[in-house]
Amino acid sequence: MDDTQLAAQVAQGDERAFLTLYDRYASHVYALTMRILRDPNLAEEATQDTFLKLWSRARLYLSERGSLPVWLLTIARRTALDRLRLEARRPTLSTGEDPEELWQTIPDENTTPEESRWHSMQFAVQSLSAEHRMVLELAYYQGLSQTEIAETLNWPLGTVKTRLRAAMEQLRREWGEK
Amino acid sequence: MTQNQIDIFRESIPAYVLGAMDVEDARELESHLQTCASCRTELADYRAVSESLLMVSPAKTPPAALRRRLQGHLPSAQKKALPRFAWSFNQLALGIALVVLLALNISSFLQIRSLQKQQTELTKQLQSGQTVLAMLAYPNTESLPITADNISGTLLVDKSRNTAIILVWNLPQLDSTQTYQAWLIDPEGNRTDAGIFRPQADQPYTSASIYSMDDLTNFTGIGVTVEPAAGSDQPTGERVFKVDF
Repeated sequence: MDDTQLAAQVAQGDERAFLTLYDRYASHVYALTMRILRDPNLAEEATQDTFLKLWSRARLYLSERGSLPVWLLTIARRTALDRLRLEARRPTLSTGEDPEELWQTIPDENTTPEESRWHSMQFAVQSLSAEHRMVLELAYYQGLSQTEIAETLNWPLGTVKTRLRAAMEQLRREWGEK
Repeated sequence: MTQNQIDIFRESIPAYVLGAMDVEDARELESHLQTCASCRTELADYRAVSESLLMVSPAKTPPAALRRRLQGHLPSAQKKALPRFAWSFNQLALGIALVVLLALNISSFLQIRSLQKQQTELTKQLQSGQTVLAMLAYPNTESLPITADNISGTLLVDKSRNTAIILVWNLPQLDSTQTYQAWLIDPEGNRTDAGIFRPQADQPYTSASIYSMDDLTNFTGIGVTVEPAAGSDQPTGERVFKVDF
């Protein structure tokens, strides 16, 4: 059963469909919330909140607007960033270069084409320069505006804008080639 | 709008899809996007990139307890918990009802006790009053004055019926550990218990009836002392007054 059908069943109150979606995407939601919050307990709470929102708002999901995992992970990102602001924690920079993590991104034979594209995006991010990866991390995973990033890194605002744009242009090029 | 202005908007689209633009700048871009098809195409491309960034982190399996906790929030788990809750609620309600009933019963019991006590007191007063009236009307009743410090009254004695009534005014109230006790006094000075009594709290006078088992002619007088609340076998306390027949 595909995600759209499962989401429709969840909207009807089907608990089994809900748990199927949990089993399918919990590890991605947890990984994203961990990346944002960097705390297992907070990430667990954010993951729980995300799936409770899926349970209560599944009827709002429109498949023509995007895939279910993107919808779910968008909720997860917002939930985690809200929690980050609530905790008022200053961002810590991740190198994103843990060899163990990188090993997990190598596609195996069961990987779907969509997952394969996500894995290639992981490699694309890894190939960014340290400065580009840093501004991307602070913007997307720490929820900082360009002005806040400039203050955090003590860089000129123009430099932040240029590097952020350059990082995204590089990702777009590599994403488009796949 | 010049191409240069359009280029400036287009260059800001990557920051926009990452949510990193300041609010006012974002509003201006959104306004521009409504009229610029090429920028909307650019936006769609970058949005695809930002969405893919959601999945960049290698999957991490959350603790198994999280799945169980989520299941606990689902309606089926709530329903399972509901009967136990309802049962507990019913028990609680029953317990409260029992406590309230018990409290009402105790309250009612105390009220009844209080009413019975008042009724007994009123009956005693009525009997005493009737006895006084009857004795006053009886030709053989002796009326003897009672005088002591700040106390005055009358002792009505009917020796043929072995009955006497003490009527005194301004008899001081006693605390709960004490009582007044009447004594019949024989010619040798021996005292025989004739009963205990307490002043009426809401009346200026006190009456006490004495019904003797022995012939009153064997006695020469009546005395009253202050004794412990349960009374005494022989006078132990302060004498209040004494009347000789």
